[in-house]
Amino acid sequence: MITLTLKEQPEVPIEAEALSPDVVSKLGNDELRALPIFYGKRQLRLDEFFEVEGELSEELEIHGDASRVKWLGRGMTHGQLRIVGNAGMHLGAFMKGGTIDVTGNASDWIGAEMSGGLIRVGGNAGGQIGAAYRGTLTGMTAGTIVVEGSAGLEVGMRMKRGTIVIKGMAKDFTGLEMKGGTIILGGAELRTGAWMNRGTIISLTPIPLLPTFAYNCSYNPTFLRVYARELAGLGISLPFEESEGSYESYSGDAAVSRKGELLVWQPAG
Amino acid sequence: MLRITGGRVYDPANEVDGEVRDVCISGGRIVEEVTGADVRTIDAAGMVVFPGGVDVHTHVAGGALNFARAMTPENHRNAAKFTHSPELRAGVGGTTPSTFATGYLYAGLGYTTVNEAAVPVLSARHTHEELRDTPLVDKSCCVLMANNELILDLLEEGETERAKHLLAWHLWAAKGYGVKAVNPGGVTAWKWGKDAKILSEPVPGYSKVTPAKIISSMAAMVDELELPHPMHLHCNNLGAPGNIDTTIETMKVLDGHRAHMAHLQFHSYGGDDWDTLRSESVRLAEFFNEQPNLTADAGAILFGDSVTITADGPWQHLLYQLTGRKWGNLDVENETGCGVVPYTYKGTNMVNAVQWAVGLELLLLINDPWRIYLTTDHPNGACFWRYPEIIHLLMNADFRRECIEKLPDKALKRIHLPGIDREYTLSEIAIIISAGPARALGMPQKGHLGVGADADVVLYNDDSDRERMFGHPRYLLKGGEVVVEEGDIRKMVDGREFIVRPSYDDNIEEYLRPLFEQYYTMSFENYPVEMERLEGADIRECG
Amino acid sequence: MGGKVTCTLGEVKNRADFIIYWGGNPADCHPLHFSRYTLIPKGKHVPEGRKGRTMVLVDVRETPSAKHADILLQVKPGKDFEVITTLRALVKNQPVDAARVAETGLTLEQLQDFVDRMKNARFGVLFFGMGLSMTRGKHMNSAAALALVAELNAYTKFVSMPMRGHGNVTGADVVMRWTTGFPFGVSMSRGYPRFNPGEFSTIDVLVRGDNDATLVLGADPGATMPQPAIDHLARTPTIVLDPKVTHTSRLARVHITTATTGISAPGTVYRMDEIPLPLKPILESPYPTDEEVVHRILEKVKEKPAWTPASYKEVPCA
Ligand SMILES: [Zn+2]
Repeated sequence: MITLTLKEQPEVPIEAEALSPDVVSKLGNDELRALPIFYGKRQLRLDEFFEVEGELSEELEIHGDASRVKWLGRGMTHGQLRIVGNAGMHLGAFMKGGTIDVTGNASDWIGAEMSGGLIRVGGNAGGQIGAAYRGTLTGMTAGTIVVEGSAGLEVGMRMKRGTIVIKGMAKDFTGLEMKGGTIILGGAELRTGAWMNRGTIISLTPIPLLPTFAYNCSYNPTFLRVYARELAGLGISLPFEESEGSYESYSGDAAVSRKGELLVWQPAG
Repeated sequence: MLRITGGRVYDPANEVDGEVRDVCISGGRIVEEVTGADVRTIDAAGMVVFPGGVDVHTHVAGGALNFARAMTPENHRNAAKFTHSPELRAGVGGTTPSTFATGYLYAGLGYTTVNEAAVPVLSARHTHEELRDTPLVDKSCCVLMANNELILDLLEEGETERAKHLLAWHLWAAKGYGVKAVNPGGVTAWKWGKDAKILSEPVPGYSKVTPAKIISSMAAMVDELELPHPMHLHCNNLGAPGNIDTTIETMKVLDGHRAHMAHLQFHSYGGDDWDTLRSESVRLAEFFNEQPNLTADAGAILFGDSVTITADGPWQHLLYQLTGRKWGNLDVENETGCGVVPYTYKGTNMVNAVQWAVGLELLLLINDPWRIYLTTDHPNGACFWRYPEIIHLLMNADFRRECIEKLPDKALKRIHLPGIDREYTLSEIAIIISAGPARALGMPQKGHLGVGADADVVLYNDDSDRERMFGHPRYLLKGGEVVVEEGDIRKMVDGREFIVRPSYDDNIEEYLRPLFEQYYTMSFENYPVEMERLEGADIRECG
Repeated sequence: MGGKVTCTLGEVKNRADFIIYWGGNPADCHPLHFSRYTLIPKGKHVPEGRKGRTMVLVDVRETPSAKHADILLQVKPGKDFEVITTLRALVKNQPVDAARVAETGLTLEQLQDFVDRMKNARFGVLFFGMGLSMTRGKHMNSAAALALVAELNAYTKFVSMPMRGHGNVTGADVVMRWTTGFPFGVSMSRGYPRFNPGEFSTIDVLVRGDNDATLVLGADPGATMPQPAIDHLARTPTIVLDPKVTHTSRLARVHITTATTGISAPGTVYRMDEIPLPLKPILESPYPTDEEVVHRILEKVKEKPAWTPASYKEVPCA
């Protein structure tokens, strides 16, 4: 295992896209220490900000409050990245495979435009999770993101496939312009599913709806059984038994299409 | 002073076809001979020597292009990056590069002169500001006139002579070089959400003005004013299936007047709709070959991301509806409009495959290379920095066949390209990228290496991979300064701007002022671009 | 999926018969708008002037602009996005939920009538102000307005225009685009332009405290930005170039007095429709222009020990 420990809080953000298993697994300790990172406009060696232990491993662990360290795990294709603490913006952006775990909080743009892999955040996360960068037509196309706590704005914006689970509350515009895939929410603030084209958003608590979503029926979709079993492996329990309740189904967003589905859980009784 | 020695020189304007000879430079111009101790010698053995490239039709500066930049960050985020250094400014490449990057990218192809093909008078000041920030190339502008309602109003009244003076006044006010006509009558119709598809029918809002009338009278005005560049014409019905008839009709309407037909590829389609679209390049080329009054540029397309930018508003609305993607539209009061729609040409798409073939077919079937020039209508058909890909396709029929094999079967029976064996020679390439467009623009100091010409000279490795060859000049000289050396940009120099001052009756201003105050929203004094806005203006008096 | 369908102000003057102001109070904030461009002038194709035009004002309260309106639509605060999204559906004849529409403060009947009027316009224009673009939903509210207008073009001619704020905001945006390729929210920290609003936009950078110095030109963030941003400006070195004493200059380490652009310094201002207007100085000023000061700072920066991105090592990345 390679362990990096942040020595002090940087005054301005650090950009460290080199910190992915793909890169570090090929490097000895000396090379690791010399890896270039950006501190503002200056290029520094990794060991100017981090204690660096270990070498040649696909397991990378980062200790400390790295909430101002951006681009961790960018584009990674395999291996494990574990952050014991907080992570900064763009965590796992463009990720293709492997696993990222954050014990604390994560910032905006985690898993943006990712096409595979798993990101788990123990605390809260920021906005634009699994989203498309501004202007890009498509956000995440595969993979899974699980946030134990709350999330910010525009979760899953323009996502096409894959799964995002926010166990707590998400802020406005969850599933904005979504093209496919699934988002599971503990709850959400306003404008969930705004301008969605396709895809499924499931909320486990009642949420405010846009006027452009139409009620269809109440049911227990069979695909949810399969899905629930898959998610159980990630420690997520998605109710699906009729005895427990059912899902109110809405379709929308009629402003752009009526092919998106919004499911809101209604416990029995 | 400088001597380029040992290179094979291609200077078709002076009938030099690959001879090994020296090119001598002094005071920014080509000279007969240089002598003395301070003559620098560039050993060009194994290289070919071309006059600097000239782009007759491109969109690199101004309100419309800048609008596209705002709309398409995704096309620039992952584009070529230009890091700042003591010599160079930072920038991004991509579909609509930033201004400094535009200069670097053109220099990186060996181009030294570009003609910005669509400038509204009302925002010409903005265009010139951007051109000032576009280094390493000389520049000129074509000013949008064929939907200027003050001119159309005069044509409606039959006041052609006054219309000519008004046109000349506008050209000088904009500090332009040539007159551009885009979808004559169609853009003004678009102000009401309509188009002008039939050349002989009145333009909406007028009873006597038809597209045909605008085309013929404006081409005549340009000839009477003796402008160095003929009317630069974007025909009606751009991009539409079956538009070949409109294009040929347009050439007939011109009736012997000079015109430069822009991005001909977009105007050479048969068929009734998208499913029946087919190439009509043979018919077009045959007709065009018989019209010595006309020149044209290809407007070729290449597969990949582009962004379409044109004053042709109605076409852009249609394209937006077809793509369901983004749409930008900017109507400019009383004068013109513009639309911006990002577009991706796909090799698997039948329509795009036909378009790809048509561009190459026109370049191969029009038999006089002096009258057809390499363009992609940047960034509409493809980005200018992809020109080397087209040169490779033109020079290598085997490579072309490999590419044709990848096209969808449906497309093959709709195109002529598989039956064409012609391969361009280096001399012909020098014509379509430099000597020809320079002549069409009426710039006698450009596009050749004869004594007195501007010392814009490019040296390429003679490489059988023509794409690599033309994409990586070894040396580029701009006005005698070595700006690219061993493939790297070494020096920043500012380009000049070519403008014309046509003669017109000064009284036209008295006619214009009250109309302007009624229909426009800025003060009349602020309308003409001040001379100080231009850097290194090179003024040509006309008429 | 984005974009903007717009025109220059003269097109509005010459053609518009249906004018919407949304989330703005032009009567107070853009006092010449009605008389010069939109309502009052006799346009080439609207010879009747005011009589030939219908004005709809959409706002959360009845502002002084209301007395100029033919129709006032009073929407509940924070419900603009819901209203516009509903309008987009109605334009396409899609069903909407009447009860949820009513939560916006407007009824389905009102919105249907609004849509009918928009579709029947000959030339419609939607101006939107900070009451839309700076309230909950922010850039998405603007995006909604732009999308609605783009889609209306399937039925009639319709354009939109943001009512940009004071000073030369549009000019900054325009110049930023041609020099860097991006309109705003640009970082040059890696030696080339990168764009990410929210990450690199001024307000976000200051609120998070991501920068260690600030140069303020032609703006007064100390008067308008949220408190954490102002605190950061005060805490770190801030340099202000301004002809006047401003909120920001008071908390700055350095205030360089410059000549007033447009009065004592030449330049170009871009109108809200991106038309460039020349500024011609009328008075002499003892102070240097902003441009001169910036150039002189740049010359000094160049004398500093070389920091050039050319020396960067390539960063390995997956
Ligand atoms: Zn063009």
